[in-house]
Amino acid sequence: MSEATLERGLRALKEQIDTPIASFFSSCTHCGMCATACLFYTETENPAYTPINKVEPMRRVWEQEYTLIGRVKKALGLSKPVTDEELEEWKEYAYNACSLCGRCTVVCPVGNDITYMIRKMREGMAASGHAPEGLVGASTRAIQTGSPMGVKLPALQAQARHAEKDIGIEIPFDVEGAEYMMLMSSMEIMNYPEYMQAVAKIFEQAGKSWTISSEAFEATNSGIQIGSSDIARELVSRIVNAAEKLKVSTVISPECGHAYTAIRWDGPNLVGRPFPFKVRHILEVLDEFREQGLLKTEGFEEAKMTFHDPCQLVRRGGVIEQPRTLLNMVASNFVEMSDHGMMNWCCGAGGGVSANEDAEELKMKAFKRKKHQLDELNVDTLVTACANCRIQIEEGLEENEMDIPVVGLTEMLAEHLVEEKKTEG
Amino acid sequence: MTEITNETQFREALKGLSLSDQREVGARFVEHVASMADDERIAFATRVASNKNAAVDELAAAYKSAKAAAMDCYTRCGADADWSEQAGYFVARAASAIVVPEKDIGSDGPAWTAAMNGRMARTCAIIDNNADAESQETGQQYRILEDYLNS
Amino acid sequence: MSAVDFLLWVRGPGLAIASIIFVFGMTLKLFEIFMLGRKKNLAELRGSGIKEGFVTIFTRSRHADTYSTRHTKFTYYSGWVFHLGLFITVFLLTPHIELFKSFLGFGWWALPTPIVDLTAVIAMIALLAILFHRITNPVLKYLSVGQDYVVWALTFLPLLTGYMAYHHLFFRYEWLLGFHILSVCILLVFFPFTKLTHAMTLFISRWYNGMMGGEKGVQQ
Repeated sequence: MSEATLERGLRALKEQIDTPIASFFSSCTHCGMCATACLFYTETENPAYTPINKVEPMRRVWEQEYTLIGRVKKALGLSKPVTDEELEEWKEYAYNACSLCGRCTVVCPVGNDITYMIRKMREGMAASGHAPEGLVGASTRAIQTGSPMGVKLPALQAQARHAEKDIGIEIPFDVEGAEYMMLMSSMEIMNYPEYMQAVAKIFEQAGKSWTISSEAFEATNSGIQIGSSDIARELVSRIVNAAEKLKVSTVISPECGHAYTAIRWDGPNLVGRPFPFKVRHILEVLDEFREQGLLKTEGFEEAKMTFHDPCQLVRRGGVIEQPRTLLNMVASNFVEMSDHGMMNWCCGAGGGVSANEDAEELKMKAFKRKKHQLDELNVDTLVTACANCRIQIEEGLEENEMDIPVVGLTEMLAEHLVEEKKTEG
Repeated sequence: MTEITNETQFREALKGLSLSDQREVGARFVEHVASMADDERIAFATRVASNKNAAVDELAAAYKSAKAAAMDCYTRCGADADWSEQAGYFVARAASAIVVPEKDIGSDGPAWTAAMNGRMARTCAIIDNNADAESQETGQQYRILEDYLNS
Repeated sequence: MSAVDFLLWVRGPGLAIASIIFVFGMTLKLFEIFMLGRKKNLAELRGSGIKEGFVTIFTRSRHADTYSTRHTKFTYYSGWVFHLGLFITVFLLTPHIELFKSFLGFGWWALPTPIVDLTAVIAMIALLAILFHRITNPVLKYLSVGQDYVVWALTFLPLLTGYMAYHHLFFRYEWLLGFHILSVCILLVFFPFTKLTHAMTLFISRWYNGMMGGEKGVQQ
């Protein structure tokens, strides 16, 4: 990676500006409505966290480079240049106080996709050396070891062996011609190893072939979080190469939010060509199994439960109905939060926030929005489909002394699978 | 003399135990890996779980502190993986399982959940060494259960 | 310069120059936006997003969720009242329609002038409330820059001077009408170089917003 300088940062910002961005900046009337969409604002009332403010330096670059009036003002020495000091100040707004959740995009009355703008703003921040240390570390580790948390193949294999012993089903590595290639996030591998077991059990019942690639198993894309397309591209390429090598039909993105965005929506644009394989989220695949009669469950959870929508999966990913359809297979008392589905509230930890130590305190404040929602609802259990959301919610519930178990949806479905054969230990 | 030699027997035997017995044997599984966490909250959980006369609010307090211990130990997203620390996370999860409130007990039961998390903890502790710690822990859990059933 | 000379100049050459600058500026704005282009989306799209783009152009005028419905009541209602009032005042008043007719070749049905008079007052009250809100609300205070206040004045003045002209308030009618037209000229000249362009670009922005969501199968 080349050295970070203000020059590179400004050039990156310039390159990021396209027709939609120019239209968005031309349309903003400073109405302030985006602030009420943003949980970082609503839970702190810090006006600097107003979403459109997070891209102010990029706005000035746009004005000074791509508008006649802006260029005239610049030539006359009447415009304010973007400086290192300013970008350093904006680190807090563009990273600590933004999970790229996408609510501002849906609320803006003139139609600005502010999330799109902030994502592009981060390209300039990263290129100029103003990204948070935690994300720089994660990205570096991801490039060097394949995982932002340094989870290497032997560790994954150890988890896989444990899983095999637990459930008596093989976790297949490097199977050429398998229908599905499974990705996993380091967070899942480390903190929720039951996910791998759940997936194995479900695929066994469905009779579908799958595999993990020993060369590219990591779903997390730190490049997307830090806002560096170069890093994001490198990480996606590894997955593409592995999928092509193993000749799989579908790559599955696991219970992780931004990983889906990275591989499903950004991936082909990063590598510059459409993929020769499909990309699906695990819940999309499970729903397909359900439709085909391959996902057989029995029994219902009696507990009153609700579903927390991971932003990148639902609002930004378009997988809105599947979690509900699947949850209704095993839940007898499923209630929705106010503002759910496409308008859900973020957990506060996505978009790199949880990997950013400086955002620790703010992240817990932002969680209060979710707390409000849960207080209204009074549920026994919360179900979600993202390891990062899960840890954030568990931490938030613990800090706020709320006793609500948090469960992964895939795990819950696996627990209700119809027992077709006894497994020998 | 009851002998446990495979997973099916292990699982069936645990399922056959009463809730308070499961908490007690689960506590022994946790004690076996507790040194990897070195946290007073783990010891608190095993003490409460081993006490057949523990009051409901004692269990609740132990559950709360064990969960807090898990939250303190988990590896933050994007942080450099420290598998020894991560072992502590699974020990804490095992400890939470043995003092979980009755309404939140999963279909696997406290003892099985504690055993699985105990094995995860052992796996973590030596993950970089690549040795087969997993089955060693499994075998030792079989012994612990045998001792419990035969006592 | 006499009042009549002023009026004749401002409604003739003045308005013509302002209109030319306005058209030039808005065309330039469109060019500045579209010359940048947008990279083709190579992902496996769920749809073209075209339908969603059009739908968003309309639906974005409404609230998106329960929270913002509760917490942005002022901005939402004052915005609606102001824009509706302005629209009626500009487009449904007989003398304005006559002006449009003179260069479009066709006119349309007008509202009775006393009603438009009322809507102009309502629009002005809304604007005053909006200004008060901008000055006192912490988010708006933080976001607002000089341009926000200048644009406010540029929008308020035509309404005020038009009202004064209609009611022959305080000054000679020719001056009042002249200043009304002058205020519109100034508005037209500044329009393409300020956030007022949102009147045109919001259609583009809402379109892209809806379209980019639609590509993923989400109606935003």
